[in-house]
Amino acid sequence: MADQVVKKTKKRDLNKTGYLFVLPFVIVFLTFSIYPVIRTFYLSFSEYANTPKPPVLVGFKNYARVFGDKFFWQALGNTVRIWGVNIILQLGLAFLLTMVFSDFKYKIYGLPVFRAIYYLPNLIAATSVAFLFKTLLDWRFGTVNQILQAAHITKTPINWLGDPKYAGMVIAVIGAWMWFGNSFIVLMAGVQGINRDYFEAAAIDGAGRWTVFGKITLPLLRPIMLYVFVTSLIGGLQLFDVPFLIIGNSVSNVRGSIQTVVMYLYKFGFEVSPNQVGYSAAIAYVLFFIILIVSAIQFKLLGSKED
Amino acid sequence: MKLKKVVSALLVGTMVFGLTACGESAATPAADTAAETTAEDASVKDSAVTGNADASEKLVIWTLAKDLESFAERYAEQNPDVQVETVVIEPADYVTKVQTALNGGATEPDIIVGEPQMLEDMFDAGYFEDLNQAPYNAQDYADQIVDYVWKVGQDKDGIQRAISYQITPAGIYYRRDIATEVFGTDDPEEVGKLFADYDTILNTAQTLKDKGYRIFASDAEMNYFSGDSAWVIDGKLNVDQGRRDYMDLSIKLYQDDLTAYANQWSTPWYQAMSGEVPILTADIQSYADDSVNVWDAESFDEATADMEKTQVFAYGLPSWGVLTLRDNVGETSGKWGVCAGPAYGFGGGTFIGISSLSERKERAWDFVKFVTLNEETADWWIEKSEGDTVSLLSVLDKHKDDENPVYGGEKLYSFWLKQAEGIDYSKVTRYDKVIGDAWGEAISNIKTGVATEEEAINTFYDTVAATYPDLVIER
Repeated sequence: MADQVVKKTKKRDLNKTGYLFVLPFVIVFLTFSIYPVIRTFYLSFSEYANTPKPPVLVGFKNYARVFGDKFFWQALGNTVRIWGVNIILQLGLAFLLTMVFSDFKYKIYGLPVFRAIYYLPNLIAATSVAFLFKTLLDWRFGTVNQILQAAHITKTPINWLGDPKYAGMVIAVIGAWMWFGNSFIVLMAGVQGINRDYFEAAAIDGAGRWTVFGKITLPLLRPIMLYVFVTSLIGGLQLFDVPFLIIGNSVSNVRGSIQTVVMYLYKFGFEVSPNQVGYSAAIAYVLFFIILIVSAIQFKLLGSKED
Repeated sequence: MKLKKVVSALLVGTMVFGLTACGESAATPAADTAAETTAEDASVKDSAVTGNADASEKLVIWTLAKDLESFAERYAEQNPDVQVETVVIEPADYVTKVQTALNGGATEPDIIVGEPQMLEDMFDAGYFEDLNQAPYNAQDYADQIVDYVWKVGQDKDGIQRAISYQITPAGIYYRRDIATEVFGTDDPEEVGKLFADYDTILNTAQTLKDKGYRIFASDAEMNYFSGDSAWVIDGKLNVDQGRRDYMDLSIKLYQDDLTAYANQWSTPWYQAMSGEVPILTADIQSYADDSVNVWDAESFDEATADMEKTQVFAYGLPSWGVLTLRDNVGETSGKWGVCAGPAYGFGGGTFIGISSLSERKERAWDFVKFVTLNEETADWWIEKSEGDTVSLLSVLDKHKDDENPVYGGEKLYSFWLKQAEGIDYSKVTRYDKVIGDAWGEAISNIKTGVATEEEAINTFYDTVAATYPDLVIER
């Protein structure tokens, strides 16, 4: 009897210790994730100039303004366009690599090493990536232009970052470079999850490389592809750091063709005078709902495939 | 079954990944403000501590202009019991930085600054201390400072909150030798008449072109004089005839080959200060033709060797242009003059005040007075900056007969004072940056043929309406 009581107290103490362990995370999570989310929601219904004066509630005014703001839609269009080019390159490259590494005839060694190398661009801070490409693609002194000219491919330097024709593409290519390793890892994991029996059976039946890829690998990878596609869209819609760091301060007509939704939001929150934090917050929430809808569609599609 | 496992593992994995990513990207504005402190180092251009390390008092300055570092050094020399820390912050980040600090209740910095177009917002937010109250009683010094500068430092209720040590009226810098050859006079009064209004400027430009010269290097030289009316009056967007005329002038200068097609601040723009410069083409200026790199001094000469050359007659710049030209005129030194433009205008200026949350306000006020209201400092600053134009009337008066050798011995201080007297400070609004940029873009799109006049002006109205929906806009 007495023994049992002692055991119980000990158990309760252990439980409490558990709470103590998760406390740091919970505090950080509440402060830096939950609070800003709630505060932004509140601000989206207000007018607030980022001054010591408290926000003034204005109802749905900011939301009505978002839907009527053609520059918001233009920014959304830019974002989707940049993401579109990015995802084609990113998935294309990831697929090519997956094909090579998952080939059932040629077994390529050193997959972990390649995987790590391909993933590396993703580990570099966006600031460094932006600086790197700004230096490489500089119109005046950039390495890329110098090589192109030295090899007589182009006669004059190409204004990669200052010409609206190229700037969007450059951002998309940088995105693809940063993320193809990630997609590759996910696709490879998918391939490795496919039952080996199918491949063996195909080999016995005399199926060629393309037949195996087209009839076995690809169909069975479809849910994974969809997953990569949709998570990439979610990330892509929030595109901000690289274009902002590369194009942020350049002439406005370049910015007009590159400006993403989050850059547009940033402009109102921090750049226009006086700051329009309420409107900025409303744009953030409209973007959030767009992402929510896209995610819902993803889960619906994924769910039905599994059945 | 196996696939399901993989997919769920992936989902869980990315959820975790997504959480970290959320924290990093800080897509919400509120989170961005929190992240601001971590970005601090990136936007701080320079930070200097001057004075005695074990001084009993300390003063912290957040500024946009490096000038204040020199002032701080001198202040610390004269006040050995004070240590002064000067932090120079990128102009683009400056306001956000002050907002973050002062909204959060920070008692440092003690001294904050602003440029004219930033001040209205900063005054409204209450960041600047009321300098009219005791013990400052700034109003007692009103007649010591050039009037427009004094008024730019007042909030909408007329309370003094910031003071500037410099004036920045705009003028036209012209070549005396070309003036004498083409127009028969180099007298600033007479040359000023050639710039009396936009039509006259176009005539002057044509006359110069006929003689093989170009009136300006770029088509943006009249920009500082174009703000003859406020962009916003009583909550209404104001695009008056003056703005339209300026637009027409810029387009004609560009389309009728009246400039050397140099962009402001580019290699040929500077080069034209010292003499001959190639006449570029509209396509080179607008970057449609990138065979000439106007930003690369080295390759520029080679790329333009076969082009027709000309000399440029004039530049339109605020008084700090005196220093820009001084450094670039080369052999044309002494052949320059300065005259009035088609209107009064000014550009920039650093206004300094005391943070309303500072705990060292008396010391801060002493510093503000030292920088802006002290004759000896102003005298020293003219010397130190090699010709900046101060705002203290007594010192301007003292130097009114100083002859500047670069400008053929012209007495520039009395000229700038006269220009400053004509400036109407009330034309500066908080909307100027966004609206001015959008108007500049419209002009640029029309002149280069990217858009028709109607399209460009409609885009301008759309941009303003989208940014400031509360403004009344009559199209």
